[in-house]
Amino acid sequence: MIDLAAPLVIGDIADLLTSPGEMSRIVIEGLAKGSLYLMISAGLTLIFGLMDVINFAHGAFTMYGAYIAGAALLGLGVGSMGFLGSMGSIFVVMLFVFLLLAALGVVFEVALIRKLYEYPPIFMILLTFGFAITLEELMRMVVEFGDINNGQWQIDWATPRIESVPTELASTTEIGFLSFSGLQLLQIAFGVLTFVGIWAFLNRTRYGLFVRAGVEDEEMAKALGININRTFTAVFAVGSGLAGIAGVMLALDPLWAVNVPLALAVLLPAFVIVIVGGLGSFTGTAVASLLVGMIDALGTWAFQTGVITFTDLDQLMIFGILVVMLILRPRGLFGVEGQGDHG
Amino acid sequence: MSTENGERVPAWIGQYLRDHLLLVVIVAMFVAYPFLYGFLTNQFGIAAAMILPETRTMLTIMALGLFAMSFDFVSGYTGYLSFGHAAFFGIGAYFVVMGFNGQVPLVPAELPFMVLLVLGGLVAAVAALLIGLISFRLSGVYFAMITLGISEVLYVVSNNWDYITPGSSDPSDGVAAGAPSDVGFFEPVIGIPFVDPLNAMVGPFGDETLLGFDFGDPQIVSYFLIGAVVLLCYLAMKRIIHSPFGKVMIAVRENEERARAIGYNTFRYKMGAFMISAFFGAIAGGLLVAYVGTIDPQNSFFFLVTGFALVAAIIGGLGTLAGPFFGYIFLEGVQEFLAREGGGGGLQPFLEQTLPGGVLELNLGGLTVNEALNSFMTGHGEFYAGIIFVLFVLYIPIGLLGTLRQRLGTESVAKYISRRVTARFDSAESQPAD
Repeated sequence: MIDLAAPLVIGDIADLLTSPGEMSRIVIEGLAKGSLYLMISAGLTLIFGLMDVINFAHGAFTMYGAYIAGAALLGLGVGSMGFLGSMGSIFVVMLFVFLLLAALGVVFEVALIRKLYEYPPIFMILLTFGFAITLEELMRMVVEFGDINNGQWQIDWATPRIESVPTELASTTEIGFLSFSGLQLLQIAFGVLTFVGIWAFLNRTRYGLFVRAGVEDEEMAKALGININRTFTAVFAVGSGLAGIAGVMLALDPLWAVNVPLALAVLLPAFVIVIVGGLGSFTGTAVASLLVGMIDALGTWAFQTGVITFTDLDQLMIFGILVVMLILRPRGLFGVEGQGDHG
Repeated sequence: MSTENGERVPAWIGQYLRDHLLLVVIVAMFVAYPFLYGFLTNQFGIAAAMILPETRTMLTIMALGLFAMSFDFVSGYTGYLSFGHAAFFGIGAYFVVMGFNGQVPLVPAELPFMVLLVLGGLVAAVAALLIGLISFRLSGVYFAMITLGISEVLYVVSNNWDYITPGSSDPSDGVAAGAPSDVGFFEPVIGIPFVDPLNAMVGPFGDETLLGFDFGDPQIVSYFLIGAVVLLCYLAMKRIIHSPFGKVMIAVRENEERARAIGYNTFRYKMGAFMISAFFGAIAGGLLVAYVGTIDPQNSFFFLVTGFALVAAIIGGLGTLAGPFFGYIFLEGVQEFLAREGGGGGLQPFLEQTLPGGVLELNLGGLTVNEALNSFMTGHGEFYAGIIFVLFVLYIPIGLLGTLRQRLGTESVAKYISRRVTARFDSAESQPAD
């Protein structure tokens, strides 16, 4: 049927297991990919955990982040700044995108989502889905109208990446048998930062306490005088901002394409990760991101060595993980009984 | 009306037609539509073409409207959101094409279209059984996501599996029925088997005569035949929903635990509903192929195919069965009007013709009004569809038909109208006009 396996499988796998360089390359690639996946899905899981809102517009937010980052990097002329200058500007752009998308998230939450808290959760899916379609189409209009990337909304907008990502990021460093690129290092650093930041936000700040109280028992939290509505808005803002930052990171990575379909390309794996990790559990999301990242890296290796000849293998595997996980553990890795059951 | 000549026409037919007056009127309107379209566009020119979809577009609307109804059948009545419903649509469409090309094991090439259509529906029902065995262990968001996941797997496979396209072409570009050189032309015949006058070929080069009438346009014949299949499917689904089986489906939606407590094996009912809706979803997919003869992953297995069925279902009213069909017509009409999606008229050419040249040439920061209209009102239907959808979710969450039912205070608009009409006739008969 499907021509999946070439005859060399066993020899290739033996090669992989006996070569520390190859192994470590896959592990580092997996970590980097996992970090990206964590950044993509962190906002989604945060919003779902507190508000029971499955935000279908999340992918569109990431796509906006990527486009805004591209425009900002080109506009600032980051390409001619040298390594430190360009890295600094990339961080500034990230902050800018975070604030911008957080603001968009606040508007979305206050103007639309808040009206539907009393409805069954399915209406949240519907609302955010409609919003997502509109946002994606709006970006298509902007791209065609503003002649961004020659009006090609389906094709990767590579110019900002080529012109502004410093060469230091793209080049590979080798220490002993380890080899990694600067970009992978940056991605892993940001993945760790995202994890630590959100963990600290949830566990070490007063607002995080409110958030956890809201997840635990919304009625009780309200009765104790916590302004749940404002907490919801804040969480939605942070989640949307994180989606934007993920967009900036994706714009720097040549494996991802800055185009309008990016929204879906981000949204679907993010869903898978959030569900595999268990709806509403941030630790679960982090573990699931790493899992998906590792499997993705292994799939890429298998494809490169010719063990498997199927182009969109990574996507197939990601959804395969979802199906297998839901059969084995319907609540996900760290899921709690009852969450997400209704609707 | 038929009680006198009861020997020739059974009395129940008259009663049935009287009870379903609205259905009869609507079907008559659909039958008249292609002629009406020609007449109105001749009479009023571009102003009529601006609003009305072409007959060609109506063919697609019929198939996708049926798909939206099949989506509503399971999602609206059992409350289980089948977010991967496009899988069944795709299975139906691909089965017809690949079955005709002789690529499906055990299915000989060049089978008649009707056989392929029904077989495809059955294959989709079996697929629904397999998917349901996994998915119905879950509920709520999890159910929606696992069905979405499975349909995405099928989408990826259909995008990459080069077995589908025997030549060298890319599977993501789609596949045509009758493409391999050793298979004959794709001639989809719809009708009652073995009754020659009741059969006709669908397609741009299909038959021009049906029931002995010469319509002079294969499009109109295709429109009638596909419409007939859609009507048949609608009546079948409606019948199931009004049967005891359908009542249990609604009970599952309202309170599954209570339905189980009463003693119903809800799993069987959910599975049955899922399989039936998969069957009709696949029929819709097959019908889409009937006219054009090709299918590609983007228009079959893709996530947004389900997405638009969902949008149509909400606009028409979730859990109203007929609602999603009209919701789809409404949605397509809006897209046609604002974005010229159907390739027919639309607001933009109308404005271009009617606005004075001075306004069109007016400069808005580097662009003339004409250019701006061109870019914003051509091909961006999803933008307007999304806005309308959001507005519906916020302000009319029960949809058009749902609102109508609520306003009239009835469970079925058709029954309400026929009751009103009969009451009017009865009173007119008993008290002659003074």
